[in-house]
Amino acid sequence: MFKKLIIAIFSLAMVASCTKKKSSSAGMDLSDTLRVNVTTEPPSLDWNKSSDTTSAKIQDNIMEGLIKYDLTDPELSLLPGLAMEWTPSENTKVWTFKIRTDVKWNDGVPFTAQHVLDGWERLINPLTASNYAYFLHGIEGAEDYTSGKIKDFSKVGAKLLDANTIQVTLKGPQSYFPNLLTHHTTYPIRIDVVKKHGDAWTEPENIVTLGPYKMTKWIHDKEIHLERSETYYGSKAKIKNVIAYMINENSTAINLFEKGQLDMQLSLPSTELRELKKKPEYQDSGLLGIYYYGFNTTKAPMDNATVRRAVAHAVDRQAITKMLAGGQIPTTGFVPAGMFGYDASVGTGFDVAKAKALLDEAGYSDRSKFPTIKIGFNTNDDHQRVAENIQAQLKKNLGINVELYNEEWKVFLKSVKTDPPHMYRMGWIGDYPDPDNFLNLVTSASANNYTKWKNSTYDKLIADGAIELNKDTRKGIYKKAQKLLLEEAVALVPIYNYVSQDLISDRVVNFKKNPMDRYPFKDLTLK
Amino acid sequence: MKTKIIKILGLATLLALVSSLLLSFFAYEIPAPLFYANFLLVGASFIYYSISQKMVLFVIKRIIGAFGVILIIASLTFFLMRFMPGGPFDEEKTLPPEIKANIEAKYNLNAPLYEQYFDYIGGLVQGDMGQSYKYLGRNVSDIVAEVFPASFQLGLYALIISFLLGIPLGLFAAAYHNKWQDTTSMMLAILGVTLPSFLVAPIVIQFFSFKLDWLPAAFWDGPSYYILPMIVLGTRPAATIARLTRASVLEVIRSDYIRTAKAKGLSRKTVLFKHVLRNSLIPVLTYAGPLAAGILSGTFIIEIIFAIPGMGKHLIQSVNNRDYPLILATTLLFSALLVFANLIVDLLYSYFDPRIRLS
Repeated sequence: MFKKLIIAIFSLAMVASCTKKKSSSAGMDLSDTLRVNVTTEPPSLDWNKSSDTTSAKIQDNIMEGLIKYDLTDPELSLLPGLAMEWTPSENTKVWTFKIRTDVKWNDGVPFTAQHVLDGWERLINPLTASNYAYFLHGIEGAEDYTSGKIKDFSKVGAKLLDANTIQVTLKGPQSYFPNLLTHHTTYPIRIDVVKKHGDAWTEPENIVTLGPYKMTKWIHDKEIHLERSETYYGSKAKIKNVIAYMINENSTAINLFEKGQLDMQLSLPSTELRELKKKPEYQDSGLLGIYYYGFNTTKAPMDNATVRRAVAHAVDRQAITKMLAGGQIPTTGFVPAGMFGYDASVGTGFDVAKAKALLDEAGYSDRSKFPTIKIGFNTNDDHQRVAENIQAQLKKNLGINVELYNEEWKVFLKSVKTDPPHMYRMGWIGDYPDPDNFLNLVTSASANNYTKWKNSTYDKLIADGAIELNKDTRKGIYKKAQKLLLEEAVALVPIYNYVSQDLISDRVVNFKKNPMDRYPFKDLTLK
Repeated sequence: MKTKIIKILGLATLLALVSSLLLSFFAYEIPAPLFYANFLLVGASFIYYSISQKMVLFVIKRIIGAFGVILIIASLTFFLMRFMPGGPFDEEKTLPPEIKANIEAKYNLNAPLYEQYFDYIGGLVQGDMGQSYKYLGRNVSDIVAEVFPASFQLGLYALIISFLLGIPLGLFAAAYHNKWQDTTSMMLAILGVTLPSFLVAPIVIQFFSFKLDWLPAAFWDGPSYYILPMIVLGTRPAATIARLTRASVLEVIRSDYIRTAKAKGLSRKTVLFKHVLRNSLIPVLTYAGPLAAGILSGTFIIEIIFAIPGMGKHLIQSVNNRDYPLILATTLLFSALLVFANLIVDLLYSYFDPRIRLS
């Protein structure tokens, strides 16, 4: 009896001494907390290394670059960020940046131009092994630094003219160079923090940032907490707390959104779009990305430009986007809507009569002589639906047979890089809103040119566009380039402009969807 | 004296395990002494049991064998992964050659394969499984250590549910063999086995979370969050266990020794629970081993639907990402669990049926 009593008292004492696990959002004032679903765990918050959109969403709120976008401008013009002004010289081969002097990192250390150079050096340093190192390879000597040919960073064309001025010397003129500095991969960095903590420098207790928010918690695979930074140099964020959840399954997230437990859901399942579009919280916007089908221009019968033109004329994009019902914007051009250089007049449009005539002209008036062509795509329900639609259209409009096949993403990438089929599905989302970023994909030298189409006139046009500063002249050059690519050579068939769809709670005020898919939280308020 | 030790050891182990389970279920932190006491007591019971059943040699042989099995699995996985087309760093943008070279140098991917293999095994022996190729800069062992507890918890609760539901249901059905209770139970069991979790989970969420607002729809933050996932996860194995139990019980019931027991005049209850049940659990035990290993290492669908930060997602996605170190870590963890579970099951066989003598 006595023994049992002792056991009982001991157990109670132990239980009483146990601490209850605190709920991760305990103590947060809901009226000052924004709850966003960023969908996945960010693979890395190290901005010299990360290449995905989830990491970018967090990084763009805890940090800032030299230059920012005016997200309200349909042509996405540039605004000063950490750089107050920038001036080109020598025909855009040299750029000089004047850096702000009133900025502090959130540990109190003043921000200087050296931190910018440190970030750039780390980006192109071979030991960092960043897959975005190529971003700054336009700078003189940068590519050699990455490949190890140069080991001394002072030989690279980026130097300090004084404590707050940076001068960049490029390999050749590049009128769109400032655009690159809006991207997180070129953000400044505190190399002392990185050295001190090594790979763990991005953990919340170690990371040092200077943006409108600071990261206070990171529970891996679950959530990230951001809190307003009171030391930010610009206008302070209006909402104090942001919780970024990582809910992979879209329907689960939508459930939570409808229960009022989420304020922003940043990705919607295509199968539920028809219903979700009816909600007042639904918002969409074109993204700077193009979904397209490329031709292998070396594989018969696709080595014949007339055949390619015929196929391009036979595809009804409206039918495809109607079927997908996701708000995708059909497009015949290869520069997306919502940025400078977009041209609605270029490309090969839907015209069945022309298609038929062209195929006859190519020598296939007897359709049975036309070989069965193969169309490849990576395994995915939506890609399958689009491919089947195209297969049906080509059969109906041109009378030709198409064989479809699909492979898992990585396997598909390998096939497309080594031996692409007659037609293959691909997409391209721009790193920055400049036509060069899209159109240089298919230059002769581009490693991303899976079409194997090579044309020196096109190459020259792209090179000219890259150095031209006058906007109107540039527009003309890119119009010519698109016409050559899409109407004459028809190396690829753009299908639609990517679209990003969100559910934004009516609690959130001042949210503006933008084609860069940026989510700056600092200007939002809560009702 | 001996029996007293057994009794105290057994009681203490049970007490430690049950109190840890209850604490974790009600979202309390398990205090460190209790946490380690669990391992100590289970280890001690394990050793004592092996000695008393004279199976020490068997256990030692099996443990050595387990290391061998895990080494073989590590090697097979290592090579199989490399033969998959597509590498960890392949993206739409083809990387310029000098960048590709830098990445390969960093992860030693350009070294000859046998060198990478020996590096890996060497690291494994020292407990270093390398860094993830996808989650840059993070140790794979840290990633697994963070996500494994949630999967383990979910799996444990689901296992308990499956036994608590399955065995009584099977027993019940067998006891009322060929009557309506039997048919209904077995129909329920078939439903449980055939309905896939990705169908049941959303239905259950819609009903209990949306319509009735009794339980949360996602996350893993406390007891109310545990209930729906553990029930959805536990019903399928429960159904299988019910059918196994029923079939086994029906067979055992016909045996001579049961007839003897009945003839001796023992009550129906004693016969059923003391004799029949104990002898018919062998098939259930066989099923339970791999079941435990599978369920404890994470279930992709339940974890995704209920947004539980567990290991199931990594088991699958690491392969899609060709994240070699993480693939190896998750595979090895699963294999270790499986080997261990099978060992426990084999040891328990001799308890349930002394006729099974393990050499």
